[in-house]
Amino acid sequence: MAIDRQKIIDEMSKVKVVGNEEGLIPGFGVFVQQLPGEFWNGFARRLVNSVPEDLIGAAEGLLVNAAHECGYHTGHGIITSDEWNQVVAPMVEKVPEDILHGAFAIFTAWGWAETEVVDLVPGETMTVRANDYYESDVLLYGRATRPSAFMVRGVCAAFMDLAYGGDYDPSGKSGLYSFKCEQTKGIETGDAYGEFVVTKA
Amino acid sequence: MPTETNAAFEIDHKFDAARKRHYLNGDCTVLHCHHYATLYTQLAMDATDFDGVRCLMETSEDVFFDVLSRYYTQKKIESIEDKIAVAQQYWQASGMGLLKFTGVGKYEVMAEMEYSHIDEGWLKKWGAADKPVNLITAGFVAACAALVNGKPPRTFEAKETKSLARGDEISAFKAIHK
Repeated sequence: MAIDRQKIIDEMSKVKVVGNEEGLIPGFGVFVQQLPGEFWNGFARRLVNSVPEDLIGAAEGLLVNAAHECGYHTGHGIITSDEWNQVVAPMVEKVPEDILHGAFAIFTAWGWAETEVVDLVPGETMTVRANDYYESDVLLYGRATRPSAFMVRGVCAAFMDLAYGGDYDPSGKSGLYSFKCEQTKGIETGDAYGEFVVTKA
Repeated sequence: MPTETNAAFEIDHKFDAARKRHYLNGDCTVLHCHHYATLYTQLAMDATDFDGVRCLMETSEDVFFDVLSRYYTQKKIESIEDKIAVAQQYWQASGMGLLKFTGVGKYEVMAEMEYSHIDEGWLKKWGAADKPVNLITAGFVAACAALVNGKPPRTFEAKETKSLARGDEISAFKAIHK
């Protein structure tokens, strides 16, 4: 593999984002914001805790979908950005697999989760390991009874959509949701790392 | 009213190379896009049976109350004018938009936005909204109202009274003492 993961993390973690004179951060084809992880965790936890037992799975699914859609559009913005072209594109030899590995290096560099692809069957399945992720911080409130890395789940599936789901569709009507992701291990549930398995939807 | 001549919000950004996490003034922060923020907002608005709107606004109020409170303590920010100036700059630096407090009192706090991440994102994603959608900023305004008055969260109830996403020229927020 030609992707130098550490170099990408070193370079892309230096990218400083701050609101412009309008208080906005346009970039990668989207508007970006930087808020505390606790905010996103807090809403997810409160929402899931507010629904009856039989609706928890559905509520979690909606949180995953939000990340899935975000990961699809922002992921596309990332892999077509100037920053990508400068740092990652010169390393890409095998398409789309190298792009996928590069995208997870950026995913890591930006603080979403320290993730790495550990198994990939092109066009079929992918297993991602996360050694650290902000969504596991719910552990501060006691061990979770269910995995709660909804954002990582959604983004893992979205990256497979981008790699193997056909041409990017800005409307999200095709390509998006070609794959789905299940979290099979979680730091928040007591495992040493998080594990995410992506398969065809 | 507060102006930019008041206290300047200092940005201390650090990247923890071991955990691969970013910290803004000590708080673990993450970059997310307008798709994520507006989908979370839509999710909250759809969750009517579970009071999703309140859930999102109170999360915002609680989290940003703590963030600003810690900053005020660390930097010894004490005057109302400085607290307001810092809050405005924090929201701007975070990419959430240009928030200006237009009236700050013991029982009522008002703010306006000419530019808003949530509204710009909503318009870009879905087009015009039929009602105000900036629940996150409403929670933030409630937190600020409590902080400048030396009160705990839930002291103020904030509402968005004008909305860029709905077609108004500005977004406007009013927080009223309960």
